[in-house]
Amino acid sequence: MSTATSEFIQNLPTAEQAIARLREIGMPKRNNELWSFFPVAKIPTPEFMGTDFAASSAANPAAAPAANETAAQSPAENAPAIKESDFAALLPIANNARPMIREIADGADEMAMLKCNNDFGHTVLDIGKGAKVSLEILDNKVTHDIAAERFDINVGENADVEIFFANPACDLPLRFRHFNINQAAGANVRFSSICKDTAIGRISIECHLKGEGANFDYRSLHILDGEASQHSRLTIYHEAPRTVSTQLARNLLSGSARVSYDGSVIVGYDCTGVNSSQLVNTILMSEDASVSVKPVLKIYHDDVECTHGNTVGELDAEQMFYLVSRGIPKKAAQEMLMRSFAQETFLPLPDSPAKKRLMSSL
Amino acid sequence: MLSIKNLKASIEDGTQILKGINLEVKPGEVHAIMGPNGSGKSTLSKVIAGHPAYHVDGGSVELDGKNLLEMEINERANSGLFISTQYPTEIPGVNNVEFLKMALNSKRAFLGQPEMSDEDFKKLCEEKMNLLEMDERYRERGVNDGMSGGEKKRNEILQMAILDPKVSFLDETDSGLDIDALRIVANGINHIMSPEKAVILVTHYQRLLDYIKPTYVHVLRHGKIILSGGPELALKLEDQGYDWIEEA
Repeated sequence: MSTATSEFIQNLPTAEQAIARLREIGMPKRNNELWSFFPVAKIPTPEFMGTDFAASSAANPAAAPAANETAAQSPAENAPAIKESDFAALLPIANNARPMIREIADGADEMAMLKCNNDFGHTVLDIGKGAKVSLEILDNKVTHDIAAERFDINVGENADVEIFFANPACDLPLRFRHFNINQAAGANVRFSSICKDTAIGRISIECHLKGEGANFDYRSLHILDGEASQHSRLTIYHEAPRTVSTQLARNLLSGSARVSYDGSVIVGYDCTGVNSSQLVNTILMSEDASVSVKPVLKIYHDDVECTHGNTVGELDAEQMFYLVSRGIPKKAAQEMLMRSFAQETFLPLPDSPAKKRLMSSL
Repeated sequence: MLSIKNLKASIEDGTQILKGINLEVKPGEVHAIMGPNGSGKSTLSKVIAGHPAYHVDGGSVELDGKNLLEMEINERANSGLFISTQYPTEIPGVNNVEFLKMALNSKRAFLGQPEMSDEDFKKLCEEKMNLLEMDERYRERGVNDGMSGGEKKRNEILQMAILDPKVSFLDETDSGLDIDALRIVANGINHIMSPEKAVILVTHYQRLLDYIKPTYVHVLRHGKIILSGGPELALKLEDQGYDWIEEA
């Protein structure tokens, strides 16, 4: 492994640092852009935030104490400061999730399934140059009120990595999954997911395209019903020339289901030839279902191509007519179109274990 | 068999497109409907099929004595009506064969028949695809997805062949077809046709009628059938256009 990858592992925050930082940033609030759409009042205040903090937060979640007040009382007051600012990213570490660290050798060809057996999990993967890796993330079988997982994934030059999950509907009341992904030159990462969960959840991704030609492909599908409330927060940093990112998020929402998609693309100075696209397609199957979308583009270089789009609608009326005009009952026709809408999300993926798993679960 | 009486229909803004269509179609007959653009030919097929963009203002459409206008769209199809539109809709992601099988078994369920086995369906599909000289790749594709105009029309006739309707209303099936494809599609329609069935062809050109001999030819203009005749009428229209009819 290179020096850079070793640094990657060494630079991961400790529990003390995470607690100190959490006390500094406080509990998530709606006026924090990372949590604009999330029902933050549903997040219980962890004990390590301190009694004063918990009491004041419970009384008025929007008025958490200033970070410095509580940080001064922290047992981790001497820990070096860290900059990470996403509550969900720090939560597993602050809860002493034991990191599962795995290094994958240069040129390796591996398939793996990752499953966390605790409420809080932390997985660290350091993937070598030219490696080909397929990672399926399985659900952890915890039964508590909150679960949080964090994945730190460093992808070496020209490695090809697929990360995916398509688990059965999960009814955990509150779940966070956070991914930190660093990609070296020429590294390809395809992140694909299907979520049918029935409660509250959030997936957050910070992807750093650090090397020239790195490519990040994100595809997500939410099929939600009832009171499900699922939220996605992506930040993609194009930090090198000719890096490419693609985001496709599709939602099929029934009942009172709610989805939000908060996707930011940041293109740095001197990052010529960057190409980035973001597309969110939602089909609302009921009056009470809703979607919120917030695209953010911060571009600090001229020679780039960035697009974003958002569509919200119902099933295509002409397609419905075509199917029923062939004798297919309306309900079956709706199901066919919903399946088609869902499958289209993943059709462009190369043939791989991820594509097979995702398509078979639809 | 198919009896259309004084059918009137309008679009959402209230504009009446069909202004009293009368048409009697008997088993074994082929009816060709011709007429200038905007005369209501495509609207007629969609209204009979039950397209939600149209409102029926009056009249009746009966298939074997049953009022189609009182049926759901899928019930009309399962009762024996097949409509092929001018621009078949693309449905990416819905596999052609799965769609065909679902459609066929929906009809069988409607008629109280058991589902067709996979093996029998495969044989049926192969037979009809051979008839239409269709490539095996059609099986893997989405419904009309990415198909050329000609491929879509051929795919429509494949559906017709498999669903085996009593009455087929084919709207400009010859558009987008090259000479060979036109021959193949026309042969397919002739093969599917029988003394118990009927076909209504909407076309602008005689060339389709060279392959499929019409029993009657009708001219639709301004939402009404203004003239009917035998096959010779199509030849005259091809030669002289429509203006002489108003002059007559």
